[in-house]
Amino acid sequence: MFVLPPPPRYPTAAAYNAAVGSGQVAPMIETNNILSSPSGPEYQFLVGEGLYVLKEDLHLATPPPHPSEAPVVNPNPLATTPQPATAGSKLTLVTLDVRPLPPAFYKISSRSSGLQQSIQEHPDESQSSTEPRESSSDGGRMNSSDVPLLSPNVPAFGEGNILLAPPTSKDANKRRKPKNNMTKSNSSFISRVILNEGLNKRLQDRPNDGLFAFANINRAFQWLDLSSPTKAEYLTKILFTKAHCLCHDVNWITKSSSHIDIIMGFSTGEIIWWEPISQRYTRLNKNGAINGTPVSEIRWIPGSEHLFMAAHMDGSLVVYDKEKEDAIFSAEEEAAAGGGVPQQTNGESVNDGSTTGSNSNHSCRMQVNKSVHSKNQKTNPVAVWKLSNQRINAFAFSPDHRHLAVVSEDGSLRMIDYLKEEFLDLFYSYYGGLICVCWSPDGKYVLTGGQDDLISIWCPSESALIARCQGHHSWVTSVAFDPWRCDDKNYRFGSVGEDRRICLWDFSVGMLHRPKAASVHHHQRGSSVSSRLASMQRADSGESADKEKILPHPVEPRSRTAMLPPVLSKTIDEDPLCWIDFTQDAILTSCKSGHIRTWSRPSDVSPQGGEDGDSR
Amino acid sequence: MAGFFNKLKGAGNGISKVDSNASLKNKKEEPVQELTPLEKLLQNAGPVREDGSDKFFGLENFGNTCYCNSIIQALYYSEPFREHVVKYPFLPAPDSLDGQQKKVHVTIRPPIQPNGTATVPGKGQKPTTSAQALKQRQVVNGQVVTGGQPMRPEDKPDSPEYKKKQSMIRGPVLELAQENPDAYGMEECTFTGLKDIFTALIESNTRTGVLSPQRFLDIFKRDNELFRNSMHQDAHEFYGLVLNDVIANVEANAKRIQEKDESTSNGHVTQATKITLGASGGITSQAVSGRTPGTGWVHDIFEGVLVSETRCLTCETASQRDETFLDLSIDLEEHSSVTSCLQNFSAEEMLCERNKFHCDHCGGLQEAEKRMKIKKLPKVLALHLKRFKYTEDYSRLQKLFHRVVYPYHLRMFNTTDDAVDPDRMYELYAVVIHIGSNAYHGHYVAVIKTKDRGWLLFDDEMVEPVDKHFVRNFFGDRPGQACAYVLFYQEVEFDAVREEMDAEGPEEVRLANLKADTSLVSEQVNGSATVPLSKLNTQPLQPVEEDHDPMPSLSHAQTAPGDIASTVPLPMSPTLPDHSETHPMVAAPPPAPAVITNVDEAATIPPKSKDEKSRDKKEQKAQEKARKAAEKEQAQLAEKQRLDKQTKIREAQKSEQEQLQKALQESRRIAAEEEKQRKREMGDTPSGVSEGGEKSFGFLNRASRGSKSMTRKSFAFLNKVGDKGDKAANGDKGSDKSDKSEKGESSSVSAADGPGSSSHPPQQQQNGGGSHSPTTQISQETPEKHDKPLKERFSFGLGRKKSTKFRS
Repeated sequence: MFVLPPPPRYPTAAAYNAAVGSGQVAPMIETNNILSSPSGPEYQFLVGEGLYVLKEDLHLATPPPHPSEAPVVNPNPLATTPQPATAGSKLTLVTLDVRPLPPAFYKISSRSSGLQQSIQEHPDESQSSTEPRESSSDGGRMNSSDVPLLSPNVPAFGEGNILLAPPTSKDANKRRKPKNNMTKSNSSFISRVILNEGLNKRLQDRPNDGLFAFANINRAFQWLDLSSPTKAEYLTKILFTKAHCLCHDVNWITKSSSHIDIIMGFSTGEIIWWEPISQRYTRLNKNGAINGTPVSEIRWIPGSEHLFMAAHMDGSLVVYDKEKEDAIFSAEEEAAAGGGVPQQTNGESVNDGSTTGSNSNHSCRMQVNKSVHSKNQKTNPVAVWKLSNQRINAFAFSPDHRHLAVVSEDGSLRMIDYLKEEFLDLFYSYYGGLICVCWSPDGKYVLTGGQDDLISIWCPSESALIARCQGHHSWVTSVAFDPWRCDDKNYRFGSVGEDRRICLWDFSVGMLHRPKAASVHHHQRGSSVSSRLASMQRADSGESADKEKILPHPVEPRSRTAMLPPVLSKTIDEDPLCWIDFTQDAILTSCKSGHIRTWSRPSDVSPQGGEDGDSR
Repeated sequence: MAGFFNKLKGAGNGISKVDSNASLKNKKEEPVQELTPLEKLLQNAGPVREDGSDKFFGLENFGNTCYCNSIIQALYYSEPFREHVVKYPFLPAPDSLDGQQKKVHVTIRPPIQPNGTATVPGKGQKPTTSAQALKQRQVVNGQVVTGGQPMRPEDKPDSPEYKKKQSMIRGPVLELAQENPDAYGMEECTFTGLKDIFTALIESNTRTGVLSPQRFLDIFKRDNELFRNSMHQDAHEFYGLVLNDVIANVEANAKRIQEKDESTSNGHVTQATKITLGASGGITSQAVSGRTPGTGWVHDIFEGVLVSETRCLTCETASQRDETFLDLSIDLEEHSSVTSCLQNFSAEEMLCERNKFHCDHCGGLQEAEKRMKIKKLPKVLALHLKRFKYTEDYSRLQKLFHRVVYPYHLRMFNTTDDAVDPDRMYELYAVVIHIGSNAYHGHYVAVIKTKDRGWLLFDDEMVEPVDKHFVRNFFGDRPGQACAYVLFYQEVEFDAVREEMDAEGPEEVRLANLKADTSLVSEQVNGSATVPLSKLNTQPLQPVEEDHDPMPSLSHAQTAPGDIASTVPLPMSPTLPDHSETHPMVAAPPPAPAVITNVDEAATIPPKSKDEKSRDKKEQKAQEKARKAAEKEQAQLAEKQRLDKQTKIREAQKSEQEQLQKALQESRRIAAEEEKQRKREMGDTPSGVSEGGEKSFGFLNRASRGSKSMTRKSFAFLNKVGDKGDKAANGDKGSDKSDKSEKGESSSVSAADGPGSSSHPPQQQQNGGGSHSPTTQISQETPEKHDKPLKERFSFGLGRKKSTKFRS
């Protein structure tokens, strides 16, 4: 008769169950990562090109709370105490090797002039690929910040501001390291650093093209070698006292076998620049000197060795220089008023609901609180842009290194020309906040996923919504293109969500089924904006567009929007998933409780044969 | 219990509204009382508004009436509903009625003295029922009564109980002991009760306080047999019944006026009627024909229309049928979203095997496909998450703790092609939350978005501002067993949403800062030289001792963990042995989760900052070894505590279970008695319609009334569900009005439903069995009411359970 109540749920249900199963309490002691390779029908999925099979499941150990942070289990479920920000495990993958490009890039770079209409192509852009950065191409990771499409005509961020010029580097191979030694740190921020005993030997012995992974879990941050058979043994584990690392990124310009630049954004708003090989680090935005809100996304500015961008939860994007000191920041008035930035404060007045007067940001504006062209560049921040007051959930740089797509909790997708610090376009989700964003490898399309359970495909050059993708049963937490299965017409992308599902999608513009009315080309506003966008790109001054106020695009009704079904939808984990990415050999996913799963691509299909599998 | 309240009532009646001012003055004279968060929020608020949108009153709990309180609050903050309820019987004659209408018989209960005794009623500290509720709440919260001299939860600052008590002390406590239906020209009914509450709140000259909805509950219980006990009830069911009651009441009134007019003025419709009919009729532009005028507004706000399309797989004939709904009950899936659950709701369903469909065209039971889409979207969309599921293993309702995420905004994917405004945007404005491990007990609270004061938590007497992110704490995956149960979405313009998001920016920034701060604060906490384990911050420290001054009578206050903290704010270790001595039952040291309550930010920050310096010192000294040892120790300690706690919880739950059993038996006994008595009275109940067995019972009566008020179709559907169940159980003896109305529908329609309602034999057997012996009815009826494994998604399939229950 007496029925036990369901067990209290812990953030790591699996760990809890394991503990309860063995008659113990929830894990309070440090545990190790566990590598397993379960098999069975639930650990594989079939798509047109073949069968993806779970190669292995690397379960990152959730660290116990810091001794000073005895778990406060508040029995009152209605307690109104604010919860600190946290995030599920996400990975940054990096390989030190120069690998061949995925096929999609080959196609694009070998084409002569087929992409004039797409936004990333400057009319007089040449296709020469002699620039040195080509060497930084990646094999492992397809995030937008490191795509080799970079044309030499694209200026670097902050170019023209002499003050931003990097300190003359004496030797390219001798990179500057951060100041502090992590292992000997007595910072209250870092609790403990554990190095693999054979770290140096392992670093020497590993294949150069092997994949490194950096992963956050709870208050821990791990450096893993995914090419090692003993990958469960981390190379380095950092335990922070309380702060959770929410996001991290590796600089693809500076990476080498002796140097890797990693930046991490924390729930406390602080940022750490870490160089894992020398185990040195620097803290930025210390104690929130520049911005006191958590960092939800952080990325190196493509092509820059020093500058990176962090999205803070108060809706600002802040550019930092890894080597500059913090300085208390207050908005620079002249920056907001002058430069190439339109005078925004006099624009449309915010309705009386807002209390902050000139500081308030209407969502249709971008307030440049400090321009990259500011004369004051001795200290951080390098630039500060306030997009709105709503939390920014993610952003992505376009492959051509010109544009920035930013998604927020208010459901907005903002397109920004970050080189010119100009706000270009504003779209909204069907409903609910947007959680993730990525660019197609060719820069033609932007994907967003969010709380409407949808993935939306946007075309920035046409300023239009192309399709909505329905297949998830809950919020979509991560999207990524599979560049090995993309060509100039067909795109493959994958997504994961809170529903623990992976969805794979095949998308080609011609095949889209548009209900009733074609929304794209008949969209008046879209065309006007696109012309504006194009004019902005061409015009050197960009004055023509300055006075124009950015109007948000109305939400497209369902009846006019193409709906794309997934080619695959399958539950692949026990916990909500939070990250997906593609490598040449596999799809990688990770979940909230730290399971990193590697799904091998179909073995019988050559990884280069991107086209044959698309027919389905 | 009633006697007690009568006492209170009697005491309260003598005091007029003037007293509210007096009590207000009292409040000002007592500097002891700090401003509550709500009062802080309301500081500098302008003049009191006319529409009542800035009244934030708690509702008194009479023991297990939180289901009522949370729903009333959610209804009150639905602007269109509140306006219509207040306006409804539009009485044009100002000379006689205007003055009267303004006057709700509100009495202000004398404030309870801080030491816990009410001034007039003497010994009554808190109604016993409330004490019971507290106890229950305690168990729900995982708190354990520690025997000996337990600290009462309401004495612990920051506990909900304490806050509730404070709310009562602060007052003013508005009592609605009497209805004034005459002023509305209506009979006393659920609607007038609700109207009185709304009016009393709107007319109150204070913004905050507590309202005692006793009379409303009395009336509601009078009309609704099922709720005539002090048991835990289903909030969603209550919601449905209240809306149905309101519809029925309003409709009856309209009809009565019409008849009166027809008889008195010889066919000339008087001005009053015209307005009564017109005022509401005008709004219902899309009113379905056949609806009695005057009730349009309720339908207009809450009612949507579903199309159920059934396609026979044999002859490919598709038949459509419209059904109205006042809310949608959606099945839950683990790790899904409300969006997805709604899609499943409209997913195609095969009618096969026992569920076959009776096709008109080919004649006979055939396999068919059925799907339901929404044709008309309601203004207020109430989504009932079916968290209570009947499980055969336990033969009881299990609560599903599935993680179901809900967005702040919503659009419906499952609309028909011809739906008006299929992309209508909704915003979440209220969440009714169930806290507890199963359907039979627990607690309901509501989190509601108010017009311009953000989100507020309504927990019976207590009203507390919460931030927007708080709303997301009830997806179902967090400890504490609190899950969203009913979601209220209201239609909203997209531009308004955007504007609001811009406007709430500063608040968002503040929250973002807060999120960082919580981590920052602890970042500096890294152990200290003086306090080896620095568990300090886990201790519920007391903010001010003054808080205890008003309660000098508490003799046990000295030993209570909370008070130790306030008097001995620093090291914990010395107090440890002391503590276990005085409290033999308390095996766990103070920081045990069991005794930690709502750790208030304000309360914890000062000691933390105090410790920062010393911690920094410690930081330098701290060696890895020491830390490891500490970690281990901590782990062992925590394990011990946890085990202790677990056993305690188990014990507590066992005893609670026993209590529940007792209560169940008791209520069964009472029910049986009542049943007998009712049978005796049945003959001379004037309201009873002369119809077979169910005459004196609310639902079918109301349903037959309702079949006029709602569209005939809609109610036909409801009745049908009930009738089918009846037929199965009672050998098809029920052929009442509603049944006839059902037969008026196309027969394919009834067949479509037939299988649905008869597809669950075990359930019917139960009903059948239950109908024989009244004593078993209550226990069996409850599981049945939530048990909808068949795709019966209508929340208003209440007909079945009621009719089966009381037909004997």
